[in-house]
Amino acid sequence: MENSSSTALVDLVRRAQKGEEDAQRELIVSYQHRVAGFVYAMTGRGDYVEDLAQQVFIKMIRALVHLQAPAQFESWLFRLARNTCIDQLRRQKLRRIFLPFGVEHENIPEPPGAVDSEELDALRHALAQLRPQDRALLALVQEGRSHAEIAEILSTSVAAVKARLHRAREHLREHYQS
Amino acid sequence: MKPEDHAWRSLREHASAQLRPDFANRVVRLAQGPQDETWRELEAAGARRLRAGFAERVLRAARQIPGVPSFLNQFAFSAATAAICMLAVVGIHSLQVRLESDRNLAGWQQLVDDMQDLEQYL
Repeated sequence: MENSSSTALVDLVRRAQKGEEDAQRELIVSYQHRVAGFVYAMTGRGDYVEDLAQQVFIKMIRALVHLQAPAQFESWLFRLARNTCIDQLRRQKLRRIFLPFGVEHENIPEPPGAVDSEELDALRHALAQLRPQDRALLALVQEGRSHAEIAEILSTSVAAVKARLHRAREHLREHYQS
Repeated sequence: MKPEDHAWRSLREHASAQLRPDFANRVVRLAQGPQDETWRELEAAGARRLRAGFAERVLRAARQIPGVPSFLNQFAFSAATAAICMLAVVGIHSLQVRLESDRNLAGWQQLVDDMQDLEQYL
């Protein structure tokens, strides 16, 4: 079952690589919720989700022809998503340096949603206290990426991923409990 | 019951009244860290931020953005620019050399004419 779904994904990616718009649309629809969740976990800002998710998928469409191994599409897509979010957070940091008076407008904490549970609020709060790199690590694990895949995404070793993940989980738990 | 026992019991009752009914469950949940269910809630909260027709908007935006030139195209463009600059330099240089040669030849011709005039005069 797993094998057939991965074969179907590879076929879909190959069709999208050839420029078939239906295949590109199907890829976007299949992954838009997961990418949106990843962006939300990374930025903690609901107003960034649509814009950043759009940037991720536009980059996906443009760069798809260069993807050598369609079987690794998911890892590749989440690497794009991670890099896009980290670029956005860096730009935001730079803007804070050059436009210090904008800080109070950018740092308004997002109020909890009307239907958000206490746990979700606690998770959002805890994630906001972590470094973006650690947030990315935890979000990639939640996305089902293996340690080896994460090591490839971050261009580091599996041992380094495990160590960083352990520390990130500890920090998350500390902030989650507080 | 001793007055101090009564006081302790009142204190305990007051303190326990401050705890919410699901206190034990909350402590256990927090101690375990965020559960998979909470992560799924986060993903769903992010997904709710996408407006309907998201895929169509992405495809439309992707069509409107001009394509990034390939490495080969960028190289060809650089090579063409360099060739045009080189041709311009060579062209200007050869023009200057030709003008200088013409000027020198005219000078020599003037000298020859002057010498011929002088020979005839002598």
